[in-house]
Amino acid sequence: MSPEPLVRVHDLRKRYDSVDAVCGVSFEIGAGEIFGLLGPNGAGKTTTVECIIGLREADAGDIHVCGIDARQQPRDVKQRIGAALQTTALQDKITPREALALFGSFYARSATPSQLLDRFAIADKADAPFDSLSGGQRQRLALALAFVNNPELVFLDEPTAGLDPQSRHELHDEIRRMKQDGHTVLLTTHYLEEAETLCDRVAIIDRGRIVACGAPHDLTARAKARPTCTLWTSQPLTNELFAGIGGVEDLSIDGATARFSSRRINAAVGEVLKRLDDRGIEVAELRVQRASLERVFLDVTSAADASGQP
Amino acid sequence: MTAFVQHFIVSLKLHLRNRMALVYGFIFPTIFLVAFWVLYRFEQVPLVRHMGELLTVTALGGACFGLPTTMVSERERGVWRRYRLAPVATATLVAGTIAARFVLLLAAAIVQLALAMALGMPWPAHPLELFVAFTLVSFAFIGLGLVIAMMADTVPAVQALGQCIFLPMLIIGGVAVPLATLPEWAQRLSSFFPGRYAVEAIHASVMGSGLTATRFAAAALILIGGAGLLASVMMFRWDAQQRFAAMRSRSWIAVALAAWIAVGLSAESTGRRARVPAQPASTGTATPPPQTAAAEPRPAPPVPDAPIVTTTPPASPAPAPVREPARTESTSPKPAPPTPVPLPQPATPAPPAGTATAPSVPPPAPPPPAGDTKHASWRDVTMADIDRDLIFTRLPPDEGVVTPIARLDEEPDPPIAAQLDKLSGALPSWAPGKVKDPVQRVRNLLYVAAVPDVFQMTDLEKFIPLVVYDHIQTEIPRDDLIKILYWIALHPFEGDDSAVDQLRPLGLNSGPADMETTRDRLSVYAVKLLGRITGKIKIE
Repeated sequence: MSPEPLVRVHDLRKRYDSVDAVCGVSFEIGAGEIFGLLGPNGAGKTTTVECIIGLREADAGDIHVCGIDARQQPRDVKQRIGAALQTTALQDKITPREALALFGSFYARSATPSQLLDRFAIADKADAPFDSLSGGQRQRLALALAFVNNPELVFLDEPTAGLDPQSRHELHDEIRRMKQDGHTVLLTTHYLEEAETLCDRVAIIDRGRIVACGAPHDLTARAKARPTCTLWTSQPLTNELFAGIGGVEDLSIDGATARFSSRRINAAVGEVLKRLDDRGIEVAELRVQRASLERVFLDVTSAADASGQP
Repeated sequence: MTAFVQHFIVSLKLHLRNRMALVYGFIFPTIFLVAFWVLYRFEQVPLVRHMGELLTVTALGGACFGLPTTMVSERERGVWRRYRLAPVATATLVAGTIAARFVLLLAAAIVQLALAMALGMPWPAHPLELFVAFTLVSFAFIGLGLVIAMMADTVPAVQALGQCIFLPMLIIGGVAVPLATLPEWAQRLSSFFPGRYAVEAIHASVMGSGLTATRFAAAALILIGGAGLLASVMMFRWDAQQRFAAMRSRSWIAVALAAWIAVGLSAESTGRRARVPAQPASTGTATPPPQTAAAEPRPAPPVPDAPIVTTTPPASPAPAPVREPARTESTSPKPAPPTPVPLPQPATPAPPAGTATAPSVPPPAPPPPAGDTKHASWRDVTMADIDRDLIFTRLPPDEGVVTPIARLDEEPDPPIAAQLDKLSGALPSWAPGKVKDPVQRVRNLLYVAAVPDVFQMTDLEKFIPLVVYDHIQTEIPRDDLIKILYWIALHPFEGDDSAVDQLRPLGLNSGPADMETTRDRLSVYAVKLLGRITGKIKIE
């Protein structure tokens, strides 16, 4: 991570009536990173982001964005960030060109509508009313609005929610392009696979607290979950084949398919293959999977449940 | 381009792309105007006296419904939340919203004015002051609309809140129903509503006295608008998830209300309310003189439908509710028509349903008994008859809807004054006012006052009796006039009524359909003049 974080959040707290929505959240985002904030519904990720971008006022804590105290100078921060909210909210009859011109007028420096229309591939809908745009076109317009001031930091709140696979794929490419262009991205998502493939680092937030933070591969490597082996063979399998192999756990057999996990996956798979060869059974397919981010997510959130943290 | 200008332009464009907004903003005001034009079709100068009400309704609807509906709708769908992500000041966006709304209101007002002038209304007396007055009215109502936008959590709540303000303002706030027709408590209450001052300011600019004559109204509009603007800025919310009931700043609503109360109390304390002719429960200018010698104990508070005439049981049959052929009723001492069947009460045929009578105000008096049996001719009438048979305290008040008469110090607006000048000049040569029979002559002249009253030609009708009274007194010697007026009061359904169809040379519309009501009004005007001549009614 960069020694000069673009975002520094320390001990952020926000309370709604009797509910602690965010209690002591701290994290940093380096320049040029794609940082994912993950968490189940109601975990506090949206409140955290809204406090950073100035939609809500934090009760306590420090928020620094681009070196500016966001709680003291929210308008200065807004000049340097862009945001695309989960639902793109514009008037039915406004056109993309008008919306971009309007929002551009709110900033000290802004790109021209035509530049943004071309970059986000909505030039052919530039003068169409907003209510005639498809979901993907609306989301591209939302991104264009987020980039109207050429921001250093972009917040994307569930950017691919509700999009078809094609639009989602295009948006993933666009987010990668943002990183290539030197923008820093903070995104919230509930698609763990998306976070795993896009994000340089993720933080998992649960019940208002960060319960895990780091690069996706580091988190999966540290996960308590064991690697899993799935095996498809030419003949049906029996329990006898796996008897006595050290480290095989959670064995399940269904005809010619077997699945097991092991902390010593290399030795276990080698022994299984040797026994199959001895019996003349051919392997049709063999797959070994390490722990996924989803597994990590479930582990850390269930651990929080077990510890009874608020 | 600045944020203000961009937001202003986009707001205007979006409004013009919204069909419903166009219907409410432009079509409805036009419908209102046509409705007023049809309602007051007998007026010589169409619509000129109603532009205050019309333009106020336009501003009220656009500012108190259109503005908050747009704002709350945008807030509900998250537009304002998205705005908040940008480094733009709340004041910039609110100013753009207000400016766009003002332009829309102004456009609707110009459309109304243009249409009214196409229908015959003259150019407003003070166009520049009218612009200033309409700006102040818009400012006051936009402030109010912003408060509604901050209070309402949803668009349906805007409609509910808007109606809570719109309807009282229309009905008892002096916007749609003339203040003079309202009861005392409603007139007092109207002092607290901005609608009354809106009508006053616009009316003065259109009719001639000018905005400078309504400084209080202008100040009231500025205060109410400013307080609404301040309260709404302090209560401003970007997000539909913020509910009004949970907002700490909601107490700022008290500032907006305080402005209304301050204006109302100020109007009360400075006696401004007295400028509106009151609808007195007691006597108005028709104060009962001590010497009024009614034959029966003086009634406690006079009521409009109490009889003016108290006589022995009437003896004539009810006159037919049709125009009667001309009769030389009294120049020769002919006996009164035979009265074979005494009736238990004065008989006036009920006016047919749907005829143009004053709304909600009962007829001033049942017709007097059609013919007393004591005298065969008006020449035999004595003061004792008058003292015995007429109760002046039961007359409808001069300030009311029925048979109104302007105060002597009351100045008509210029267009009305022009009409009165024409009337005054034409009366001496008006043929029905020159007929030989003095009773018929007086009847004909009194019709000149009675017909506009039946037509409800507000503002004009109350000045006509003064012109007519002056002329009658130059035509008929005082002693004869007293007797004739008494005679007419007791015999309203006698005589020729063809004069009602000959009013055009006087600049008035002719031919009311409801002759019974017209004759009723004629008899009341006769008694009112009689009271003035004899001192039974004191005029201040």
